[in-house]
Amino acid sequence: MSSVAPPPASVDLAELVARGAFEDFWRRFRHDYVALVAACFVVVVVTAAIAGAPVVAWVTGHPPDRQFVNGLTIDGIPLSPLSRELAPDGLHADPHGQFFVLGTDTLGRDVLVRLLYGARISLFVAFVATGIALFIGVVLGMLAGYFRGFGDAVVSRAIETAMAFPALLFAVGFAAVIGAGLTNVIIVITLFSWYYPARVVRTAVLSLREAPFIEAAHMTGASHFRVMFRHLLPQLTAPIIVYATGVIAANILFEAGLSYLGLGVPPPTASWGQMLSDGVSNGLYRVQPWLALIPGVTLASLMLAFQLLGDGLRDALATKSAT
Amino acid sequence: MIRYATRRLLAAGVQLLIITFVAYALFFLIADLTGASPAQRVAGKGATPARVREIAHIMGVDRPWYAQYVHFVARLARGDLGYSFQRRQPVSDVVFPAAGVTSSLVVGAAAVWLVIAIVVGLVGALRPRSLIDRVLTIGVQTSIAAPVFWVAPMLSFLLAYQPTQGKLLGVPLGRHVDWLPIGGYVGPVASPLQWARHLILPWFALAIGFAALYARFVRAFVLEQLSEEYVKTARAKGASEWRIIRHHIGPLVAPAIVTLLGLDVGVALGGALFVEQVFGLPGLGYVGLSSIQNLDYPLTVGTITFAALVAVAANAAADLAQAMLDPRVRVG
Repeated sequence: MSSVAPPPASVDLAELVARGAFEDFWRRFRHDYVALVAACFVVVVVTAAIAGAPVVAWVTGHPPDRQFVNGLTIDGIPLSPLSRELAPDGLHADPHGQFFVLGTDTLGRDVLVRLLYGARISLFVAFVATGIALFIGVVLGMLAGYFRGFGDAVVSRAIETAMAFPALLFAVGFAAVIGAGLTNVIIVITLFSWYYPARVVRTAVLSLREAPFIEAAHMTGASHFRVMFRHLLPQLTAPIIVYATGVIAANILFEAGLSYLGLGVPPPTASWGQMLSDGVSNGLYRVQPWLALIPGVTLASLMLAFQLLGDGLRDALATKSAT
Repeated sequence: MIRYATRRLLAAGVQLLIITFVAYALFFLIADLTGASPAQRVAGKGATPARVREIAHIMGVDRPWYAQYVHFVARLARGDLGYSFQRRQPVSDVVFPAAGVTSSLVVGAAAVWLVIAIVVGLVGALRPRSLIDRVLTIGVQTSIAAPVFWVAPMLSFLLAYQPTQGKLLGVPLGRHVDWLPIGGYVGPVASPLQWARHLILPWFALAIGFAALYARFVRAFVLEQLSEEYVKTARAKGASEWRIIRHHIGPLVAPAIVTLLGLDVGVALGGALFVEQVFGLPGLGYVGLSSIQNLDYPLTVGTITFAALVAVAANAAADLAQAMLDPRVRVG
């Protein structure tokens, strides 16, 4: 009796197709409803930021920086969501006045429009800073892990030292010295987010460089450059993607934190951290809690979405969580 | 062990030198480049150029920057952090009291987050995928997502401000109460009770995010260990679940938590910045931020140096503690 069963006759061998890496990933990912919802939420926020902001500003007729005199009560308190502009007496809603879906802020501006324009800043800063930080981290980590030796020692010590910095305190000081502004915020955030990816990539390369397929590549005469970018890098895509999701989330928070302290993109440009601090720092949120609730809940939901998306990607890409 | 300790402490010393160098270069060099002259600031607008030069000489800012840095390190070695331009008093006189406030905040918060994390993590690990585990996991994920600069004002609003208006979590109480203060700080020596009362909300505000991260770590760690062979052996010998946690898994999870704590001291100092801001605590973050706003560079560099010293020391201490608890670290 043969130990190997012959293939069942019903399978048409011509129909057997090897699954690509993406297909394999998608087969697992599409059953992870939590991650799918999170991914949809991220897509919705990105779309809302890019396309939604100007559209909503046009539909409502409220530019993000326009201050509505009757958008504040007579005591200077911003309006709640779903309310209309007040009549000139500052007490009663004006039935023909402007409508504010998410209410107004401390200067009588439309919160919904500012929230959407703020998303642009948050996402832009986070994506660009994460992109640069990942590039630096991946290149340094790969060079250090691949060539070992003196360069590795230097990079490793640099990573350890960078991790010992009280990052936020330093970033705040740095942001204060070089001044507020879009480019400077990106520089500050990049400076304090390259070293985690570098460490993860270095560790991964350290173990991968001993693998048989790398040895095989060397034997076929591949250059160091080719081995690193054609053989090692594809192996690292999965952990890098998973890691990037986490770094983007952390950097959205970082940007919001800097803006909260007044060191982000300068006003009147809207950003989530600044919307939050506008309502909180003067205590006005005690009378009008929406001022803190709307930007806070938006920020937390986006964080949550990135976290859950990261977890889902990690499971579907079957990589071990880094750190 | 001694060899390992020497190497680790040496590394910590080098790290600190690099951090102070960067801090120094950053704040003094860039201030020079942007034309902000500390001497001019101290002398006032009406001072003659000769007078400004004289003051610059007294302050030592007329020398080349590397000489200033060497001087700074030499003073630092004697425990002298410099002299504040704006407050006209030694930086250490400002930084040390502030460090007391911040350490009250961070140490207390760490105690809170460890207790929450261990309880939540263990409950989740012992009853994986149960209803309570799912509820806790949702709570953990949400707490990780909530930024500290939002949690702090919300706690202050719901538990300190609203009760003074006769409401608790929006429910009318029928009378006005002020159990918890909205802000401020009282020293532990003056009144331990008032000290704790002023810090309860800040502790929780700072602790929630960390508690969630640590709970997730404890749950994953314990869950992984529970499927190990040695746990099976212990069970076969009739050990209770509690005994397994306490005597078999506990000694493994403790060093890991110690290392995490060492790494997170620096991060917690950053979080403390926001909490101090919201609750009006005169800590390091508060001093550092106001010094930045006042262009008081010696105070800024002094605060950052001190915070870095604490972070680096905590990191080194955690590594040493782990080396003591785990022989593989010091030998390998």
